[in-house]
Amino acid sequence: MQSDLPATTTQFAAESDMAEFADRASLRRQPHIGESAIQGFLFLCGAISILTTVGIVYVLAREAWAFFNRPEVGLGEFFTGVKWQPAILAFGIWPLVIATLITSLIAMIVALPLGMMIAIYLSEYASPRTRNLLKPILEVLAGVPTVVYGYFALTFMTPLLRGVFGQNTVEIYNTASAGLVIGILILPLVTSMSEDALRAVPRSLREAALGIGATKLETSLTIVVPAALSGLAAAFIVAISRAVGETMVVALAAGAGPRNFDNWGEAFHSLAAFNPFKAAETMTGHIVRISGGDLSYDSLDYDSLFAIGLLLFLMTLGLNIISRILVQKFREVYD
Amino acid sequence: MALHSEVSRPHYPEGERAQSYDSGRARRGVVWSVLFMVSTMVGILALTALLYNIVNSAFGYVAVQNEIDPQTVVLEVEEQSMLSASNVTTSEDDEILAAGVAASPDAIGFFGYAYYQEHADTLKALAVDGVAPSPESVDSGEYSLSRPLFLYTDAGTLAEKPQVAAFVDYYLVNVSAVIEEVGYFPNDAAEMMQARQRFDEAVNGAPPADAAGDIHVIGSSTVAPLTGGLTDDFKSSGFNGDVTQEIVGTSAGLARFCDGEADIAAASRPINRSELEACRKAKRDLLEFRVGTDALAVVASRQNSFLENATREQLRAIFTTAETWSDVDPSWPETPIQRYIPGADSGTLDFFVESVFGLELSDLPKETLIAILDENVSAGLMRRLEHDQPFAERSQENVHQLVLERVIESTIVRSWSLTDSILRSSEIDAAVAEIPNGEKVFRSWLTGDFIRSPQSSKPEDAGIRTAILGTLWVIFITILFALPVGIGAAVYLEEYAGDSWFNRLIETNINNLAGVPSIIYGMLGLAIFVRALEPFTSGQLFGSVDPTTANGRTIISAGLTLGLLILPLIIINAREAIRAVPGSLRQASFGLGATQWQTVWSHVLPNALPGILTGAILSISRAIGETAPLVVIGASTFIVLDPTSPFAKFTTLPIQIYQWTSRPQAEFRNLAAAAIVVLLVLLLTLNTTAVILRNRFSSQRI
Repeated sequence: MQSDLPATTTQFAAESDMAEFADRASLRRQPHIGESAIQGFLFLCGAISILTTVGIVYVLAREAWAFFNRPEVGLGEFFTGVKWQPAILAFGIWPLVIATLITSLIAMIVALPLGMMIAIYLSEYASPRTRNLLKPILEVLAGVPTVVYGYFALTFMTPLLRGVFGQNTVEIYNTASAGLVIGILILPLVTSMSEDALRAVPRSLREAALGIGATKLETSLTIVVPAALSGLAAAFIVAISRAVGETMVVALAAGAGPRNFDNWGEAFHSLAAFNPFKAAETMTGHIVRISGGDLSYDSLDYDSLFAIGLLLFLMTLGLNIISRILVQKFREVYD
Repeated sequence: MALHSEVSRPHYPEGERAQSYDSGRARRGVVWSVLFMVSTMVGILALTALLYNIVNSAFGYVAVQNEIDPQTVVLEVEEQSMLSASNVTTSEDDEILAAGVAASPDAIGFFGYAYYQEHADTLKALAVDGVAPSPESVDSGEYSLSRPLFLYTDAGTLAEKPQVAAFVDYYLVNVSAVIEEVGYFPNDAAEMMQARQRFDEAVNGAPPADAAGDIHVIGSSTVAPLTGGLTDDFKSSGFNGDVTQEIVGTSAGLARFCDGEADIAAASRPINRSELEACRKAKRDLLEFRVGTDALAVVASRQNSFLENATREQLRAIFTTAETWSDVDPSWPETPIQRYIPGADSGTLDFFVESVFGLELSDLPKETLIAILDENVSAGLMRRLEHDQPFAERSQENVHQLVLERVIESTIVRSWSLTDSILRSSEIDAAVAEIPNGEKVFRSWLTGDFIRSPQSSKPEDAGIRTAILGTLWVIFITILFALPVGIGAAVYLEEYAGDSWFNRLIETNINNLAGVPSIIYGMLGLAIFVRALEPFTSGQLFGSVDPTTANGRTIISAGLTLGLLILPLIIINAREAIRAVPGSLRQASFGLGATQWQTVWSHVLPNALPGILTGAILSISRAIGETAPLVVIGASTFIVLDPTSPFAKFTTLPIQIYQWTSRPQAEFRNLAAAAIVVLLVLLLTLNTTAVILRNRFSSQRI
């Protein structure tokens, strides 16, 4: 054994410690103007997103405030009325909201079971090869612009519905066609979010279930799906929010005018307000149609759009927040 | 808790019940797995239906209505070229033509075959495309310069009007005797017998009694002399009524006959399917009688030693452009061609041009098409067209298009989808037949012209040039704004931000922004960029004020709005890519004394770049497809001028699709479908690039 080796090592170690210490000290002293400027710029970039939100809320709230402050407009009428007809100063939001709910509901009836089942198939049943084949198809569907779905609704789904249910039952513009196509539109979203949630369930859970004799179906439905429930719920809620905010499909296929009623009794009479085969205008459809024309600033129309926009924003924001809370609060931590 | 629920479950069945229980479970498993697969199929089916629907509308038959029948235009110009050729002698008198041709070995001419037979001693008839004219080759239709002659009537008329039955009867009995006088070929006896039989069946074998009343014959001018001669004989044989002959041509004659305007239609071609369909719809029980055949003989002198056969192309040259025989065929002598042709008013000339030249407008050479243009449009327009692009530089296709637009003035009046075009062709034929001067054309709505030409209110001229340029401009602005800001925000959140409340707020906020409907961004853009920042977005601040655009509804407003829209997406994707860069890289960089920014710039970003780019491309393709926010901020719907600056009015591809789709006319839906194909191809290319990038990226990292 050579006795001088450990000593040398110690010496080196001490020297490098010293050097590092000195360096760190000198680094601290240096004023990093460039670095701070860059950090400031990057911070600004991040802050732009805050500004966007502030901008959205401010713009919507200000114009909506102006709208509700007008003598012609009553807050009570807005939230209870079933007639939206700016020309005669009738501003009840419900015709637009009901149409939005109908299209979204139909969309969810299509997209929920279908999306969920596709997700289970992709995550639990499909071989990797099949999955690699099918996922790109879903991605293609997800990448198709919404205006194309609108075209699809108007030129394919509507004639199809009219062929099946009769020309007299189904109007040329109707909420059923728009709703069904929105369902197809959000299908990739539901599927991919659900699949992510299902695949996040650890393999060991499945293996345990299969190990005690459960079939593949039992494993999927009683073990994997409940374990992924929060993720699935989040997917559905995001999908609802997407369906509520969807614009082009309803603008093209659902109708160009709100389905108005004089009072709620009339609206509920033989459920006339909820007939999916009749034309109706949703909140988004109304905004697009009115703003597509020549719109002068600070007119009643202009302000009313922002009031509708604010309601729409709050609805989707609420849904998104619920979804986020679901994911965070009930996230099962397996690791 | 899980344990408790296990315990409380009933025991697993035993014995036979266990077996049925297990098989039930297995069955359920199979049923459900089939259900899962079917759902997936439904998803794929939806995509298929979507794509099918688009392709189905982007191609298909259209009914084109022409101001002028293109055939008459071609006929006119071709006849003109014959009449203006050198060494041409025209005469309405066949004697002069015959004598002229007979006199010179270098002469050529044509007239009715029957007339040639009278002069067979001095003239010889040429074979056309190798087929010599003879009663047999004419009868079978092999000889191309021949056409069958028909009479059409209907059983109802024969029953109601005995005078018509009597006339047709007389016609069929006597036509063969007189037809050669007019210069046509008689039918062979068997054919005549058949016609006779059909007639007898229609009138129930009873010979029509002597009848009085008027008879209305309508149609072809070719059949007219035959009918005229027989009418005179019929009258002199004791008929007292009036026989009116209206010469309007075969097509118009048949159409009006089917409408019930006449008793008999004379035709120089068989009735076609759409005319038949129209007749059937009008409840006419059509009877067809072939009465003879018209044929032309192309003749040369007996003294001529080299001409035996000529192709139709050679005939075309012989009667128009060629000066000497050797121009047509080098083995022929170098002597000038002497041409003898009937005058312009004669049906014979029309018939010759129709059968020899072929009357497809699109087949004509460029020079001829230019001549047609020159003749039919004003000199001013010609100069303007020449100014736009000299005719010398234009292609034949282009000139053909001009002729269609300016002379034929064809407009699309109806369109059909691809499946209809394939499966319901006869119905389409019938529908087109009802359109005056209508023509069925197969049209691809997606053409080079569609991409190159600007917007137009006429669907046949409309294109997406301005929309494509608008999309490119808007997306350029979007990228310029959203990419650096998005990546910057992602770098900040991943590399710099501590766990302060503000940073958490930014994070939550970005996630929520990603869920805001796009139309809300449109309203934000309308209030901020279009309205509040109008001096900036209309270009006033930069002095480039265009009074028509100075309202803020410009490319830059659209680009910034879309930029805000995709910012959250870019940030989320970029963060994921940055997070995937292993921490060891950063530590190594810091360990070497690099500053934070140096580490980010030289190590983190280069490694995260493929991932960032993938996310960015996907976000950009989302922006390209966005419609609603642009409608809200006020995209223009009708723009014919290319945008030239960020402060110009704009339209984009999706806006154009939206506009066209929302119009009621089917032709605009076809245009929308074609535009969708362009948009989808663009997006698919972008997305494929992104997927390839991602795959390369992930394979490198493993």
